[in-house]
Amino acid sequence: MLFFGGLKDVVGHCEESLDLNEAASIEELFALYSQRIPELARYRSSVVASRNQEFAAWDTLLRSGDEIAFLPPVSGG
Amino acid sequence: MTPPLVHEDIIELVREPIDPLPLIHHVRAPEEGAIVTFDGFVRNQSHNRPTLYLDYEAYESMALAKMREIAADLHDKYTIHRIAVVHRLGRLEIGETSVFIAVSAPHRAAAFDACRFAIDTLKRMVPIWKKEYFEDGAVWADGELPPAPVATPRAKPAS
Repeated sequence: MLFFGGLKDVVGHCEESLDLNEAASIEELFALYSQRIPELARYRSSVVASRNQEFAAWDTLLRSGDEIAFLPPVSGG
Repeated sequence: MTPPLVHEDIIELVREPIDPLPLIHHVRAPEEGAIVTFDGFVRNQSHNRPTLYLDYEAYESMALAKMREIAADLHDKYTIHRIAVVHRLGRLEIGETSVFIAVSAPHRAAAFDACRFAIDTLKRMVPIWKKEYFEDGAVWADGELPPAPVATPRAKPAS
């Protein structure tokens, strides 16, 4: 799982692997991290998630080997 | 069966300065009549605060995938020939080009429309972020939250 932009600063690193037993969906994954890093919770409404480089709904179920990323508002250009 | 069209677009993320001329030459073709370019470069201020420099980062694999999607969309929507879209990452000084887009087409309207669509969509959908550095600190720039699916379609759970 990957964190970018301001989220990376909050989490303190940008990449981590996780056991699937710990979370079943992208929503649960974010919740799990928000428990560990309470500051993360306030970013929930201004984050989108992706699964394997494609924007994904929060209820997307996790599969082994998925690459999940949490993306704050983008500001390229 | 007709082979798939090969557009020979240039879609890149780079860390060195962007040289627009080779990109313009790449999209230029004798049968076309128009090229529209967009040169996005680093402003010297943000919300009236003087900027020192910017630092761009990307979710590179997804950013490239999204940039390729945009190019494919452009070919679907507009009568255009070739597209070059190059975004730079890393530290950029004031005045340096962060993104350059060139679109060639037989006629100007399609080239203008496609170029506008390309930069607007890039700014909304492509996972790239910039951090603005000021005299007294740094902030991640305000951005746009890309639209994402609201919920995955799936069978109703058994109750």
